[in-house]
Amino acid sequence: MKLKTLKQMVIRFLVIGSIPLGMQLVAMGPESSAQGVDSHIPDLAGIWDGTPRSRPVNGERVPWGEENFPDLNARAKAYQEVWEEIMAPKYDCQPASSPAIQYDPYHMQVTQWPDRVLLRYEKDDQLRTIWLDGREPTSLDFSLQGFSRGYYEDGSLYVTTTHFVFDIAGFDDYNGIPSSSQKVVTERYWSEGEELNMTLTVEDPMFFNGPVSYTTRWLPAGEDYKLAAYGCDPEASRASVRFYPSKYD
Amino acid sequence: MNSYRNFLVAIFVAGMVLLGYVVPGMAHHASTPFYDPETVVELQGSVTRFVFRNPHAFLFLDVEDENGQVSEWQVELGAPVGLRRVGWTPDSLTVGTVVKLSGRKSRAEGSQGVCCVRMTREDDSPIVEGGGVREREQN
Repeated sequence: MKLKTLKQMVIRFLVIGSIPLGMQLVAMGPESSAQGVDSHIPDLAGIWDGTPRSRPVNGERVPWGEENFPDLNARAKAYQEVWEEIMAPKYDCQPASSPAIQYDPYHMQVTQWPDRVLLRYEKDDQLRTIWLDGREPTSLDFSLQGFSRGYYEDGSLYVTTTHFVFDIAGFDDYNGIPSSSQKVVTERYWSEGEELNMTLTVEDPMFFNGPVSYTTRWLPAGEDYKLAAYGCDPEASRASVRFYPSKYD
Repeated sequence: MNSYRNFLVAIFVAGMVLLGYVVPGMAHHASTPFYDPETVVELQGSVTRFVFRNPHAFLFLDVEDENGQVSEWQVELGAPVGLRRVGWTPDSLTVGTVVKLSGRKSRAEGSQGVCCVRMTREDDSPIVEGGGVREREQN
């Protein structure tokens, strides 16, 4: 408990100390002044366990089940008609992205710096940077993980991610639901007891008639746990594809 | 009722994993599009290759049928990143090791694949001795 308090003090010291160094975060609006002096900055740092120890494993009805399954528009349904499992780019080692990577049953490391939060995913060796300094994305910032901006408020970290590239399985590859460059993912992270909690919302007017959300949690990883390198192997990734009876054969 | 049944299944599977007989999985993809849960095969074969790489480890076996014909079967295992946590390494299965297993057969016509296996060595001992103990220590 004492260690946690010390970590919070260090984070606050770094944040406040960065202001005279020209970052001028307080002058920015709430979207960009994540680290304003008045904000309650939660201590979210650490390695978090997202394996079945913490929550049910993802699948056709998890985390998108009866209660929160998206209302798909005609365009999305047309994609679903064409879809079959082995079209998923993951079988060629393309990494998962939001909103799937957060729910994959692996560990995640959170690092909090004054101007950014780093989310490192064991699955697919992915690193997301949440910028807290108010910077704006440019047209060069489209990527698989998109461009993320965030701020702290009332003990939570709020993140908005835009600038995703089109992905034929970018919403959910278990149900063949794509995502577009209009996808916007918002996340709220907060700690409760020993748990890290997150509510994630997806909007994508190209394919959905409204926003959808799920909430999940991580438990602290074992004391000496270190993230392992994933190093997706193309042969291992495609090895089961030949067992799939394709409707196009 | 369903949740109670799921609970009992979870307890059973957890027990078998701790005993080292069930190979833990790690969701990268669903198994049912590739493997039929209603068609369970039992095999005994000799390891010809063990691919211990993410996203899924694979084991290749030479299996002799009742007519003495030998053919290759491909066994899908969990993600090495998860298998390592319960004591598996790339050396857990060496070429020539004989294993016995049961699991779901692959769906594509003529294919010889298995997933979701319960597997032991030829003498019924677990593949990884003490793997469950290591898992408890980590968590």
